[in-house]
Amino acid sequence: MSGKNTDHTPLARQERSFLRFTLGQRWEHAILLLSGLVLLLTGLPQKYREFSISQDLLSTPEQIFLIRQIHHVAAVILGLVVLYHLGRILVLISRRRLPGDLLPTMQDLRDAWHMIQYLLFLRKDKPKFGRYNFEQKVTYWVVFFSIAVMGVSGLIVWFPVQVTQFLPGGVVPAAKLAHSTESVVLAIFILIWHIYHVHIERLNLSMFTGRLSEEEMRTFHEKEYQRLTGQPGERQ
Amino acid sequence: MTPRTYPRQLFWWIAAALTVAAASLLVVVTPASARPPAQETVKYCLSCHGDPSLSMTLPDGETLSLYVAEDDLSHSVHGQVGIECEACHNDISEYPHPAIKFQTRRELSLSYYQTCEKCHSTNYEKAQDSMHAQAAAAGNQDAPICTDCHGAHDVRPPDEPRSLISETCGQCHSQIVETYKQSVHGAALMQDENPDVPVCTTCHGVHNIQDPRTSQFRVAEPELCAGCHADKELMDKYGLSADVYDIYKRSWHGVDVSVYKARWPTIWHDSAVCSDCHGIHDIRATEDPESRVNSKNLLSTCQQCHPSAGSNWTDAWTGHNQISLERTPFLFYVEKFYGSFTPFVLWVCVIYVILQIVRATVDRVRSNRP
Repeated sequence: MSGKNTDHTPLARQERSFLRFTLGQRWEHAILLLSGLVLLLTGLPQKYREFSISQDLLSTPEQIFLIRQIHHVAAVILGLVVLYHLGRILVLISRRRLPGDLLPTMQDLRDAWHMIQYLLFLRKDKPKFGRYNFEQKVTYWVVFFSIAVMGVSGLIVWFPVQVTQFLPGGVVPAAKLAHSTESVVLAIFILIWHIYHVHIERLNLSMFTGRLSEEEMRTFHEKEYQRLTGQPGERQ
Repeated sequence: MTPRTYPRQLFWWIAAALTVAAASLLVVVTPASARPPAQETVKYCLSCHGDPSLSMTLPDGETLSLYVAEDDLSHSVHGQVGIECEACHNDISEYPHPAIKFQTRRELSLSYYQTCEKCHSTNYEKAQDSMHAQAAAAGNQDAPICTDCHGAHDVRPPDEPRSLISETCGQCHSQIVETYKQSVHGAALMQDENPDVPVCTTCHGVHNIQDPRTSQFRVAEPELCAGCHADKELMDKYGLSADVYDIYKRSWHGVDVSVYKARWPTIWHDSAVCSDCHGIHDIRATEDPESRVNSKNLLSTCQQCHPSAGSNWTDAWTGHNQISLERTPFLFYVEKFYGSFTPFVLWVCVIYVILQIVRATVDRVRSNRP
């Protein structure tokens, strides 16, 4: 996960770019994005059955069955991505090569406080970030725990009879409520928080291209830029 | 004419007008109320038909009694308003009577009941759309006609007392009525003539009784029960919760059923409706150990549809109860958590993004200014 200075042409300093996400990480994100979207689109009509548009979609008993099948298949695919992700983390830990860039630190709290002051016009400068800023860490961990909740509760409502062989029955309606509510919380979070940061604040396609330009690195990940190049960032 | 005398004159005019109005009312009303309930033909017919031994033998060998008890006639709803024999026996206008053309007693009834339509056309037509009329059309001679439920010469109000309704249906549907009498509804009706519990016609309708085994009847059933069980005032009277229907509608079963009702009422659906768990004619109070939803029997009731459910399963059913810490602790904490977590995430995202947009816009405007 470490960034590399990959462009060796000395003349083209502006064109120098930095590897941000490996191909594997980009695939993980793409599958997560697609399966998540399918899960949302097939889940919402099941949650909001009273709406006429849901009833149009679930227009026959066979359609309900089909929609549920699609939801389950997408859930299994997402589950495999999660297992791959967790497995890779375990492998990297065992090799002592897991970078801790995404772990929350005290510096993130200080950065967040700094950012709030900046947003309220109490400071003129934005905080300087490392490889992942606190907004990106929040995104990762909210999605991480949401998927955990969705996965566990989803399995409970998928296999209620089997689950209640060893868990109390009360977990079934609780899981149903959690699954249905957490999905909306996650959808709100992605739509507002994540879409703002990657599309509106600036168009950040590094999750698809894998790369950040030197300009972007200096502006948005100044500390990481310094660490990698030994050169000061733009605003110093 | 001085202004002073004007009101007095007006008074007399009004008095005169009222007198004329009252008189004309009398003219209209008098002939009707003055006409005595003559019962002329009744008296005339009963001079023969008042003899209890009067009878004849029908072609099929059955003896048809031709006796009509005067008491039955005079106490019937028709006798009390002066409706006479020939109103229904409109084929008989003279003595000696024309020869009877019916082969059997049932044929005679099937012919005479059609005269009910003359006055009771609405209910008569409704009855023609009923399950009973379908049975008749399919060739069942015993399918009930007006007189089978209401009587012929002794037509009385059908619901006095209220339990009479169920007794009437029980003439044919005896087993069902016996079961019903053991139920929480039937017992209250039979013991106390309870005015609120459903009798047969409350759920099945009166004249246009439909087949209750269809999918349409099935998906409409929750609303049928809700007619009483969502009525707070009525439920309070018996210490029952009026939330049961609302909570059911939000449940897994209820959501399924409501969609089927809205979209495909003719497609059979197995998702549970009220009677699947509570029973149909044998509904009992939940505390009753014989109730299907009593905690002793609940698991086997669930297993009708969820055969491999284990003993923990029944706790997955919230039992039409509002979420509470005592009864559904898991659900309680999940709801409490999301009650604050959902708005928290929403507001943090919205406020943070708005602040970002404001700050970025201000920065851009400032940097453009020289």
